[in-house]
Amino acid sequence: MAISERPPGQSWQDTVYDKLFHNYIWRSIFRSGYPNTPRNQALVVATNVFLHLHPTRLHRTHVKITHTYCLGGLSFFMFLGLTVTGALLMFYYVPSVERAYTDIQALESNVRFGELMRNMHRWMAHSMVLLVFMHMMRVFYTGAYKPPREFNWVVGVILLVLTLLLSFTGYLLPWDQLAFWAITVGTNMIGSAPVFGTKSRFLLIGGTEVGQGALIRFYTLHVIGLPLLAAIFMAVHFWRIRRDGGLARPL
Amino acid sequence: MASAPVVKATVPTRPMPNPRARRERDEEVLVWPDLVFIEFVSAVLFTILMMALATIINPPKLDQANSDITPNPSKAPWYFLNLQELLLHMHPALAGVVVPTVALILLAAIPYVDRSHDGQGVWWGGHPKAVNIVVFSTVFAFIITWLLILYDNGTQDIIYNCASQPDKLWSCLKEGGTPGDAHHLPAYLRNVRGIQTGITWPKWTTHIPYMPFHQLKLLDSNFLNLNLPAWIVEQAIPLACMIGFPIVLVFLLRFRYGPLGVRGTMFALFTGFMTVYVVLTISGTAFRGEGQELLWPWQLKPPEGLGIA
Ligand code: HEM
Repeated sequence: MAISERPPGQSWQDTVYDKLFHNYIWRSIFRSGYPNTPRNQALVVATNVFLHLHPTRLHRTHVKITHTYCLGGLSFFMFLGLTVTGALLMFYYVPSVERAYTDIQALESNVRFGELMRNMHRWMAHSMVLLVFMHMMRVFYTGAYKPPREFNWVVGVILLVLTLLLSFTGYLLPWDQLAFWAITVGTNMIGSAPVFGTKSRFLLIGGTEVGQGALIRFYTLHVIGLPLLAAIFMAVHFWRIRRDGGLARPL
Repeated sequence: MASAPVVKATVPTRPMPNPRARRERDEEVLVWPDLVFIEFVSAVLFTILMMALATIINPPKLDQANSDITPNPSKAPWYFLNLQELLLHMHPALAGVVVPTVALILLAAIPYVDRSHDGQGVWWGGHPKAVNIVVFSTVFAFIITWLLILYDNGTQDIIYNCASQPDKLWSCLKEGGTPGDAHHLPAYLRNVRGIQTGITWPKWTTHIPYMPFHQLKLLDSNFLNLNLPAWIVEQAIPLACMIGFPIVLVFLLRFRYGPLGVRGTMFALFTGFMTVYVVLTISGTAFRGEGQELLWPWQLKPPEGLGIA
C-alpha cells in the first residue's frame, strides 16, 4: 500500500478513505494522494495536466474576486463550452446552402436538447465577446500590461480579433436572412478597403456574392481554422502569464 | 594564412531593466483549494446562467437566406454595428477598414508607449487622479459622440424648425420637424453632407487631377480626380474629429487635474475610445431603424431592428 498521510486503521472511515485514495489504481492515475494536505495540494496542481496551467501558489491579492473578476478565466471557460456545444452541433449541420437552414430547423424541432445546444452556443458566443472586452478593460485599468507583460497584451489583442472573427464566421452558418445580410453588410465593409478591397472580399467569400463559396469558407474557418489559432494563442497567453511571473503586482 | 575575421557581436539588450515583484511566500495561498474553488463556482454559475438564457430566450425565427429580398435595415452582427454606424458618417474605406486597423494597432501599442512600472497590478494605479480622469473622459466622450451623431442626423435643424413655431412645439418635435413652409437652417448647417451639397462649389474643386498619378494612369479611375467637397465631408472632417477631440480631451484634463503623464494620458485615451466604441455600438444597435434612420429603441421593429440575439 502507498504511503498514507493518516494513521491507518483508526476507524472504518479511515479504512474506506485509504481504500479509495491510496490504492494502486488511484495512485496510477493521480500521482499524489487526495489533496487534503499542503504537500498534496501543491502536488495535485503541479502534476495534473489540466491544473498545471496554474502556478501552485499565488499571491493572496490575486484570488480576490475584485482583482480580476475572473474575466479571463471566464472567457476561456466560454471557449471550452463553445467547443463542446459546437462539436455537438456539427453532428447535425451540413454546410450547404440547400441544407443549412433546414438542418437548423430540424435540430430545433426533432433533436432532443437540440434547441438548448444551439441556444447555449449562441449565448456563449455573445458572452465571450463581452467577457473578452471586459477582461481587456480589467487588464488596462489594473495597469497589468506594463513591463514585462507588454507582449502578452499584444497576444491578448490578437485573441480579441480572433474572438470577433470566430463569432462573425459563425453568424453566417444558420443561413437565414439575418445571417445572410449581416455577412453581406460586414464583408462589404472589407470590400471598401482602398486598393485591395474587392480582391480581399472575393478571397474571403469565395465569389462576388455571399453564397455556397462563402458558406463553406466561413464554416471551415469557424470550426477548425480560427479555433485552432485561438487555442494556440491562448496557450501562448497562459504560458506567458506564468513566465512573466504570474499576475501583475506592484513592485 | 589569414586570421579569422573579428566578429563584433553586440548582444541587443532590453533597454529597460525588467524587475519583477518580489515573491512574498507568507502572503501566498495555495491554488488548490483557494483558486480552484473560485474557478469551479464561477464555472457552475455561468453554466447555469447560460442554460437559463438558452432556455428563456430563443433566437429570432427568420426566413431562409434570400439574396433577392433585402431587409431594411440590414445590419451586421452587433459587435460590428459600431463600424456600421461610422459608415453613415464618413467614407466607407475610412470607417470600414482604416479606422479599425489603426485602432487595433494603437491598442496593441499601448504597453510600448506607457513603459513605466508605476501602479501596475492595482486598480486605477499609476495616477493619483485616475478615477477622476476616467469619469471625466467617459462623460466627455459620451456627450461629444452623441452630439456628433445628432448633428449629422440634422437634429439641430429639427429643433430650429420647431422652435420657430412655438405653438406646435411639442407635436413638431415628436414628428421630427414639419416639412414644407417651416423654417430651416441653411443647407450647409443641416448635416455634414450639407457642406458638400448645400454650397455651390466652384466647378474645378470637384475635379482636381491627382498629379502625377494622373499622367501615369497607375491608379484606377476612382483615384484619378479629387472631389474636394466630397473629400472634405467624407474624410477631412471625420478625421479632424477623430484626431481633434482626443487632443481636446487631454488638454481639458491637463487644465483640470494638472500634468497627466503617460499613464494619465493612456487612461484618458483608452477610456475615451472605449466610450465611443460603446456609444457607437448602442446607437447602431438600438437607435437605427429603417433606412438607418435615427429612432428611439421602442420604435424599432425586432428582430431586424436590434439585429441581436
Ligand atoms: C480569448 C480571449 C482571452 C482569454 C481566454 C484570456 C485569458 C486570460 C486569463 C485566464 C488570464 C489570467 C488572469 C485573469 O483571469 O484576468 C489573463 C491575463 C491577462 N490577459 Fe488575457 N485573455 C484573453 C484576451 C485578452 C485580451 C483581449 C487582452 C488585452 C488586450 C489580454 C491581456 C491579458 C494580460 C496582459 C494578462 C495578464 C494580467 C495580469 O498580469 O494581471 N487578454 N488572460
